[in-house]
Amino acid sequence: MINFDSSAPVRLKGVGDGFWITLDPSHPENVIKSEIDKLFKNLKHLTINASVVIDVKDAKGHDDLIENIRSYLINTFDVAKVSKPTEKRSIPTERIRQRDLSKGWNHHRSEVLMLRGRVRSGQKIEARKHVVIAGDVNPGSEIRAGGDVIVLGRLAGKVHAGYPKDETAMIFALEFKPTQVKIGEIAAAGINEDFCAKPEYACVEDDGIVVKDYMKANPFRKLPWPEAV
Amino acid sequence: MEGKVIVITSGKGGVGKTTATSSIGAALALEGKRVAIVDMDIGLRNLDVVMGLENRIVFNIVDVVQGKCKISQAAIRDRRIPNLFLIPASQSDNKDVLTTSSVERVANQLRKEFDYVIMDSPAGIEKGFENSIVGANEALVICTPDVSAVRDADRVIGILYSRSLTPKLIVNRIEPARVERGEMLSHEDVLEVLSIELAGLVPLDERVLISSNTGTPLVLQNDSKAGQAFKRIARRLNGEADLPIEVPNHRSSMWRKISKTFGFKK
Repeated sequence: MINFDSSAPVRLKGVGDGFWITLDPSHPENVIKSEIDKLFKNLKHLTINASVVIDVKDAKGHDDLIENIRSYLINTFDVAKVSKPTEKRSIPTERIRQRDLSKGWNHHRSEVLMLRGRVRSGQKIEARKHVVIAGDVNPGSEIRAGGDVIVLGRLAGKVHAGYPKDETAMIFALEFKPTQVKIGEIAAAGINEDFCAKPEYACVEDDGIVVKDYMKANPFRKLPWPEAV
Repeated sequence: MEGKVIVITSGKGGVGKTTATSSIGAALALEGKRVAIVDMDIGLRNLDVVMGLENRIVFNIVDVVQGKCKISQAAIRDRRIPNLFLIPASQSDNKDVLTTSSVERVANQLRKEFDYVIMDSPAGIEKGFENSIVGANEALVICTPDVSAVRDADRVIGILYSRSLTPKLIVNRIEPARVERGEMLSHEDVLEVLSIELAGLVPLDERVLISSNTGTPLVLQNDSKAGQAFKRIARRLNGEADLPIEVPNHRSSMWRKISKTFGFKK
């Protein structure tokens, strides 16, 4: 277990795109430097272009010490930026917290069409926005959505996401086997070869439709916060 | 007690609806039930030919629906199987001569007079199909293990569900050797797409053609695999719901027993 109250001269923590160094300025500068040296050598290439925050906790002043360490880190370990911790929490974090408290999605009226069960040949599903189908979509059926199409099952019909012109829409299925795919105005024929049952999604890249392995390139992982759609 | 009206349908033509209708009807009659089989394929009748009763037709289902004769006048009794009756289709009319309401009325009358009324639906999903399902209590969907038949069966199943009928599936013309070689869809593949309750599996049987051409019921031939499969389906429909479904196998059961004894695989 990590003892946060320990008064080690230097403590290191990874934050976002860089590192957070907590110093105890009561130790001599050379001790601090050698401790930093030890820790940063372990990080190897990760230090390059990283942004580092030097935190001296409640101790005031020590600008010289921070300045020395700053130049030392930049010269020795190629870090991009060394700064002091901001007085307050950064504004985005604050805003996000407020959003969390207000829980915007509690009052959100969804336009998502969610269906449960098998979509059979000859059935046509049209949705103004996103559509989620918990079940299989059989060959011979059609799905058309203004937004994304998400199929929790096998997708084997004809599917059009982002109708009529939204090329940011995506099509996801646990088994991606459609006969024809269309996103916005771009269409592609389904491929039967090399089919293996794995979660995949299709999106538009460079004016063409690409199908990607969902577990490897999850498009939602990049979104930092839950948003109602 | 009122009888049941069972419609046999498929969407696609030539998958064995007529054979299934005559075989299941005959098998139910052999079980001791009073059965009427009705040809709803107005204009393209052939159930009478398959059953060998063509030369005895006087009235047909159109006459019954239009009130030109009684049900008892149109129903032809089969001389080989007691309690089996055929109400043939008209060959000269087309499917538009019947209305759904009048067919429903006749279906209700038939239900009172017979234990089982088996309706042979025409291929397609147009008027003739609508007429044949309107009075039905139960539906059987016939499908062969090929992609186009599955597609059409899927469409028909969707329509049946929308009419509050929960269909059961018969997979017809299974060729176990080809399934094993991977050349043909297996019944599992078909079920995966259609996902409805299975009523039975029927293997491909060359005797079907002979029996249709000669007008002799398939179920009377004890060495016909398809005939035996239809008999089991009839028993399942007739209350023996627990009767296990036999998967057609291309090796003889004796060889399987020997293999099992010696611990061979397959």
